[in-house]
Amino acid sequence: MKIVVTVKLVPDPNAEKRMDTATKRLVRTGVDTVINPYDEYAIEAALQLKEKLGGDTTVTVFSMVPETGKETVRKALAMGADDALMLSDAGLEGSDVWGTAYVMAQGLKKVGFDLVICGGLSDDGSSGGVPGALAEYLGVPGLTNARHVEVADGKLKCQRETDNGYQVVSGPLPAVVSVTMAVGEPRYPSLKGIMGAKKKTITVMPLSELGLDRPVGNDGAKTELLQFAPPPVRAKAHVVNAEDGPSGAKAIFDFLKEKKLV
Amino acid sequence: MQHVIVFVEHKAGHTRKVTFEMATEARTIADALGGKAHAVALGTGAAAIAEQLKAYPLDTIHVSEDTDVDKFLLDPTVDYMEAVAKSTGSALIIVPNTMLGRDVGGRLMARLDAGFNADVTDMKVEGGRLSITAPKLGGAFITTKAFKNCDFGIVTLRPNAFAAKAGGAGAQVVQIEKPAGKSYAMVVESEVEEASAEMGLEEAPVVVSGGRGLGGPEPFTTMLKPLADALGGTVGATRAAADAGWVPYSLQIGQTGKTVSPQLYIAIGISGAIQHKVGMRTAGTIVAINKDGTVPIGEFADLLVVGDLFKIIPELTKLIEAAKAAHA
Ligand SMILES: Cc1cc2nc3c(=O)[nH]c(=O)nc-3n(C[C@H](O)[C@H](O)[C@H](O)COP(=O)(O)OP(=O)(O)OC[C@H]3O[C@@H](n4cnc5c(N)ncnc54)[C@H](O)[C@@H]3O)c2cc1C
Ligand SMILES: Nc1ncnc2c1ncn2[C@@H]1O[C@H](COP(=O)(O)O)[C@@H](O)[C@H]1O
Repeated sequence: MKIVVTVKLVPDPNAEKRMDTATKRLVRTGVDTVINPYDEYAIEAALQLKEKLGGDTTVTVFSMVPETGKETVRKALAMGADDALMLSDAGLEGSDVWGTAYVMAQGLKKVGFDLVICGGLSDDGSSGGVPGALAEYLGVPGLTNARHVEVADGKLKCQRETDNGYQVVSGPLPAVVSVTMAVGEPRYPSLKGIMGAKKKTITVMPLSELGLDRPVGNDGAKTELLQFAPPPVRAKAHVVNAEDGPSGAKAIFDFLKEKKLV
Repeated sequence: MQHVIVFVEHKAGHTRKVTFEMATEARTIADALGGKAHAVALGTGAAAIAEQLKAYPLDTIHVSEDTDVDKFLLDPTVDYMEAVAKSTGSALIIVPNTMLGRDVGGRLMARLDAGFNADVTDMKVEGGRLSITAPKLGGAFITTKAFKNCDFGIVTLRPNAFAAKAGGAGAQVVQIEKPAGKSYAMVVESEVEEASAEMGLEEAPVVVSGGRGLGGPEPFTTMLKPLADALGGTVGATRAAADAGWVPYSLQIGQTGKTVSPQLYIAIGISGAIQHKVGMRTAGTIVAINKDGTVPIGEFADLLVVGDLFKIIPELTKLIEAAKAAHA
């Protein structure tokens, strides 16, 4: 079985973020690029499946990212994935959610798969829209927010998180699934994994190989950024040291009363 | 973009407050664009929802009680939405920024080759063009965007960010025909409820949230729930509390959980990590209780009371209950 994991590279979630006023893009210099944290869970889910299914099951990492991201992609290989494919092309700059999903789907068609596993959310884009759109463009069944993924007898069975619990959902392969962080903590690459990753193949594919029939990147984008601004800053908290329970409670109660919240 | 179409999320005829917020906003935007305001309600209970929605200023409510919508994951829902959109023509499609809403939105984006904007907190029409405000990059920036190169635009609307206002002449309810030639693959075999869905976390006016500081599952029911009840709100949690198994994931607030904008957010035994902050920073008032005065939440809460939560919460609940009793 061929499992393909989609992996986005994002600016370090813990780093301070700045936007360039001229280009309206995120300033990436001085900010590390890392694997989107949610995609580490997707990789973990794929590796767990590979271990369970054994045989000729393979895990391919698929990333739409500039070539400069190669060494970060290699970290996914160090975790245990078999090989990687990067869709890298200057023409992809300025892609919005639509463009990302559309181009990724064309790339995935080329790569081929039995199961695509996505993270639930990208830390920078955070639309969560890509996995569902991939299923649509690929014309295969899709399922989002799986906390548990099982493949048996060529069928998929998942627990899918809902607003107040979960559903058991089943369907045929090939399919696209996105996972939540409940699939299990991502493993750390072992020393052996890191050494081995150096020999694994990372293929870089340019847009020209996809034979697209419509503009993508900046030209094809369906949304346009007009303005951006920092959020209204919240002032620092008024701090009250509570001597004991009653005095702490009273401080809160008085505050709520003043705000007309009780 | 001319018309507006609202996707109604509901469970067996029970809907969320955000549905009415979306219906109200749909009217405003449709008027500004010179189009009509539509809503679509699907699956078991759709007709009951349509009756409720008549109190809101919509033009047409499209309904189908097709049970396939409940039996199969998403595909039937997206088929119906696509059919309505194609019959209406160029439109803004509004879905709630909830798990289901984002799913429907992402799928429709592909079906309609549409633009997509998530977690929208404001919309305006200026010079015939729609502009959309949404926080991005974990709330580090507030962006204003517009659609281009597309007939359809999709927005996921943050609950509690828009006003709901009844009124209008009473919409026409129409039945949607089942889209022909479809087959469905993903079967919903069973459904497990881990938390009560009485009040959606996203639309609660008050959220009383607990973190690792609670030390176990019991305080959520013995301390937080009574406080939330006294304030007319509901209980939320951090990822740490959900990961520990103290509460179901459905109570989790933050980047990988729910985004809430209540009038009042009380953070109890919560440090205020960036991933948590993203999901609650737009609350009207934030009160934190923590034994450590240097926690990050002090940087953005309105009030931080430094002390032992186990001593403070029961006292606070008593004060609020007493005030309520005195008022009654
Ligand atoms: C990719 C990713 C996604 C994430 N998504 C989310 C998310 O969606 N939501 C989320 O919440 N987190 C998320 N996290 C986790 C987040 O980074 C924090 O680890 C988490 O929010 C911490 O939860 P906490 O505040 O409950 O625990 P802690 O940070 O451990 O804080 C507990 C607090 O309780 C206080 N305390 C302890 N005892 C008492 C007492 N008796 N009285 C008063 N105070 C007390 C302590 O001083 C401390 O400040 C995510 C992390 C990652 C990596
Ligand atoms: N450029 C990309 N390359 C690879 N995977 C991506 C990319 N963008 C999004 N994804 C996948 O889609 C998921 C959801 O992303 P999003 O819809 O942007 O929140 C991510 O967790 C990734 O698995």
